[in-house]
Amino acid sequence: MDGQEQLMLVMNDITKRFPGIVANDHVSFSLRKGEIHTLLGENGAGKSTLMNVLDGIYYPDEGEIFIEGKRVDLRSPLDSMKHGIGMIHQHFMLVDSLSVIENVVLGLESQGFFLDRKAVARQIEAIATKYNFRVDPYAKIWQLSVGEQQRVEIIKTLIKGARILILDEPTAVLTPQESDELFGILREMKAEGKSIVFISHKLNEVMAVSDRITVLRKGRLVGTVDTAAITERELAKMMVGRDVLFRLERKEAEPGREILNVTDAQAYSDRGLVALNKLSITVHAGEIMGVAGVAGNGQVELAECITGLRHLAGGHISVDGVDVTNASPCTLAAAGVNYIPADRLGVGLVPNLSTVENAMLRKYRQNPVSNGTFINYGAACTYADGLIEKYDIAVPLPNAPVKVLSGGNMQKLLLAREIGENPRLLIAEHPTRGLDVGATEFVRRALLEQRDSGVGVLLISEDLDEILMVADQVAVMYEGRIMGVVDVHDVDVAQIGLMMAGATTAVKS
Amino acid sequence: MLRFEKRDKTPVQLRLMVPVASVLLGMLVGSIVMLFAHVNPLRVYGAIVSGAFGSAYRFSETLVIAVPLILISVGLTLAYRMKFLNIGAKGQYIIGAIFGSYLALFGPATMSRPLLLTLMMVLGTLGGALWAVIPALLKVYWNVNEVIATLLLNYIASYILWYFMYGTWRDPGSHGFPLSKNFALNAQLPRILPPPSRLHIGLYFALVAAVIVWIIIRKTRFGYEARVIGENERAARYAGINVVKTVIIAAAISGGLAGLAGIAHTSAVLRILQLEINSDYGYTAIIAAWLAGLDPLVAVVVSVLLAALEAGGYQIQIVMRVPFGIVGVIESSILFCLLAGEIFTHYRITLARRIAA
Amino acid sequence: MNPTFGSILIKVLAGAIQSGTILLLPTLGEVLTERSGVLNLGLEGLMLIGAFFGFLGAMKTGNPYIGLLIGMAAAAGAAAIHAFISVTLRGNQTVTGLALAIFGMGLTSFYGDRWVSQRLTVAIKPMAIPGLSRIPVLGPILFSQDLIVYMGYVLVAVFWFLLFKTKIGVNLRAVGENAKAADAMGINVVGTRYFWTILGGALAGAGGAYITCGIHPYWLNGITSGRGWIAVALVVFAMWNPVNAFLGSFLFGSIEALQLQLQAGGTYINSALLSMLPYLTTFVVIIVATLIVRVRHVGTPKELGVPYAREDR
Repeated sequence: MDGQEQLMLVMNDITKRFPGIVANDHVSFSLRKGEIHTLLGENGAGKSTLMNVLDGIYYPDEGEIFIEGKRVDLRSPLDSMKHGIGMIHQHFMLVDSLSVIENVVLGLESQGFFLDRKAVARQIEAIATKYNFRVDPYAKIWQLSVGEQQRVEIIKTLIKGARILILDEPTAVLTPQESDELFGILREMKAEGKSIVFISHKLNEVMAVSDRITVLRKGRLVGTVDTAAITERELAKMMVGRDVLFRLERKEAEPGREILNVTDAQAYSDRGLVALNKLSITVHAGEIMGVAGVAGNGQVELAECITGLRHLAGGHISVDGVDVTNASPCTLAAAGVNYIPADRLGVGLVPNLSTVENAMLRKYRQNPVSNGTFINYGAACTYADGLIEKYDIAVPLPNAPVKVLSGGNMQKLLLAREIGENPRLLIAEHPTRGLDVGATEFVRRALLEQRDSGVGVLLISEDLDEILMVADQVAVMYEGRIMGVVDVHDVDVAQIGLMMAGATTAVKS
Repeated sequence: MLRFEKRDKTPVQLRLMVPVASVLLGMLVGSIVMLFAHVNPLRVYGAIVSGAFGSAYRFSETLVIAVPLILISVGLTLAYRMKFLNIGAKGQYIIGAIFGSYLALFGPATMSRPLLLTLMMVLGTLGGALWAVIPALLKVYWNVNEVIATLLLNYIASYILWYFMYGTWRDPGSHGFPLSKNFALNAQLPRILPPPSRLHIGLYFALVAAVIVWIIIRKTRFGYEARVIGENERAARYAGINVVKTVIIAAAISGGLAGLAGIAHTSAVLRILQLEINSDYGYTAIIAAWLAGLDPLVAVVVSVLLAALEAGGYQIQIVMRVPFGIVGVIESSILFCLLAGEIFTHYRITLARRIAA
Repeated sequence: MNPTFGSILIKVLAGAIQSGTILLLPTLGEVLTERSGVLNLGLEGLMLIGAFFGFLGAMKTGNPYIGLLIGMAAAAGAAAIHAFISVTLRGNQTVTGLALAIFGMGLTSFYGDRWVSQRLTVAIKPMAIPGLSRIPVLGPILFSQDLIVYMGYVLVAVFWFLLFKTKIGVNLRAVGENAKAADAMGINVVGTRYFWTILGGALAGAGGAYITCGIHPYWLNGITSGRGWIAVALVVFAMWNPVNAFLGSFLFGSIEALQLQLQAGGTYINSALLSMLPYLTTFVVIIVATLIVRVRHVGTPKELGVPYAREDR
């Protein structure tokens, strides 16, 4: 085939299925020598799965992989490593208390028995000089910035002889400056003949650094294009698609008073990076404000700030006119704020306690469940039974720990509990993630019901279709800011896609 | 190759089977150990049973041992449910005995018996609580590992006792031995059966404590909050639970009960303060709490059974000349089997063949 | 200078090295075990198993060194049980360790009964190192000891070197600090933990056997006198570093040796406070170590006591 010798990597017709979902559906992907090739798509598009297949973590159900023309069978990360594939994950595999040298040397058979620090340091410095960056081999990982830690991960792959590098959303944890430095390194590596796969959703970066772009959507290949020959707008359209979306039967929204007002919110993530960057958003009673955006742009932190689980470093939050900036979760609960977190078994439910004990987590201080000191489990059971019946939650054994429930039923329980508090403001974060069709529809209907009864709903979701289906207003969040708010009837999908990828700021009142 | 798959539900039969199988396997291991020493296991087990329950007196001796075990293990069920791994019960027992004995040895001699004893018990409880609150504070504020902290405090408590017993608390009339004065009658916690039985009203304390702790765990807000903290601290904070307060109080209860055990046993059974005050009940109680699956009422039963094992063990040592050490072998073997068996309740074990090409 | 005082001091310090070695061996073993992420509280039981079976072996074979090896093997076997329950079956390591301690105490007391106060005919004897043992002050203290003490010196150096200057050491430390990362880099987490737990057990057994095959060549119930528990505390005191373990063992050993001298003089009160000192100091050290971790990211191995399950990834 013409130009075949130029191809470093060919993945043909890769299909990977998981229970209930086809993550990759006959996807084909090729990588030339010395190119930077971006894999673009929303969450759930299948980018990570495809690369995990390449990295040997998953084995494809169908399809073949060729490296430099030869067919290969990648059954473990070690296999991939042997074929020169190195992946840099979003979550680094580094040991904080060890030095750069020690991390690089981990598990390496070739280094022999003794740890010759000087020799390894020389190797590390040689690589760093070659690609034009600096790293202190003797520094401990905990002393390094995130950008520097990422470079250590890169060094690890290069020392193992990687010729194909895969970077999974590498700029998600970097500052803009560090991102620029990273791109510089990538360009140097490209000049050296390395082939790079760059997974991202940020259009400006993608346009700036890649040679070709492959767009995936919902597990399928949309197309592969040359960066030079395409515009951001067209890319956004490819990414987000122009499916005919059906909307759930519902009444028109009748938005009332302002329930939530967030002004110029600033907050930091666990890693100390800016998560909310002077973010402002408003939700009215009786409306669903959908927050679209790729995960990792500050959505979790926004929800945590509003529910009192994270410190707000700047700005104000008020609920129903009352300033609740940095109030405790208790106060916020009393103010009528309820939360359905994305991480069900993290903050929402207690895995080893029973359904009843989880159901009463918000109510256990009040009558009739408690009279102050004692808990009336009978009343708690009645309350829980009410929820179970109303929301049709399937509970196998009454006293079974809640972790035994299916994802869908856990979510229903969470929903039931929070809605049962008669909230004024309901925050739903990725509420249908991992649920089957029936449970998904149930949850969406429940949110609509709440909205119809006058509750203000903040729906944060990485599934744009869901937002377009359910929300009244659509806000797009990118890098800790709201890029724009659009009424759902006026949505231009391509424009939304652009905003999600950080391209333009369009504000519509 | 063994593979572990998470179970979604644990059948009730399995939950019951594991402890029962553990007891049987533990006894089997004990039997094997005995056989190697040419000792007949059946005779030994028989002698243990008769030694523990064979006569009214023997049964009361079993209960004498059971009393501190119940008090301590019941407190531990609360602490362990909160994932506060208190292994300092021995030290809390000792400090409780020291605090209470101070009043017995140096308090006003003319105090009425009920008042003196009440104050002694209260002081002992406070002492034990204090010894548990220290590591608890270190844990909630500074995240200091409570296993090692409480272990060290055991030693420090032992040496504090040693200091007093060789020092100012030593009875001048004891010819240099580290013994205190005998407790006066008004400092002796009353016994409930005629001599030679040594069973004392601490038994009532123990049973009441078991019920109270059971009520706390099952029926109160506090117990609920403690369990939520132990299972998922983040969710606890989200629910607005005051983690610091709850942990400190639970630790205080656990330590207080151990301290109460210490002073009650010293005052009622030993009637003297000395170096050896049976503080190792603090360790045996840990086994009892764990074997009881952290349920306070079951802990009562398990404590009695472990006490029977120990009481029987003394008997076989005296009568059959079988060393007491076999008791430790049996106890720990049962515990090993239980710990090993716990995984079966959470995971299903399957044999996985290598994935075919 | 009072000659009697000087010679007494030298005697005390020489004794300290001996007592210290009893502590050093299990401490070194546990340092490595905990560095791999496994907490083994059962050292007292392992030491007793080593002491008893070592004694038995020496009795039967007439050779105290073979006895020592047999003791080490027995303790290693017992430690394997701990490894199996803690690593493969993911049981609660604190309670398992406690059970191991009680098991060892019970087993050895049970079997040991008929051997009480029997004496070994041939015991481990001091072997002065020619030349070195003639150095004033240091000679009699450090170089007029027995083979086991010298092995202790060697092991401290070997383990320090292993931990910080070899790849094996890097892999070991990675397993104890971030098992997930170590696994991702191809290190066998389970195998590492088994190896160091069993080796740690063997060393604890060596410490116990050293008593019954050398220092006090007879068997008594509980002859280790709680040293296994002291070793657990010593690991913290040493901040998981073999060289500190040596210094700490020597320190604790000195206190023990000093106590013996004082007891001869009949002063018990000071003895109590003196005996308390190591534990009090360790208590302070563990608080300091925990606080330091926040700042300097060194201290308690992060994975200590946490079972590793790959599918939780």
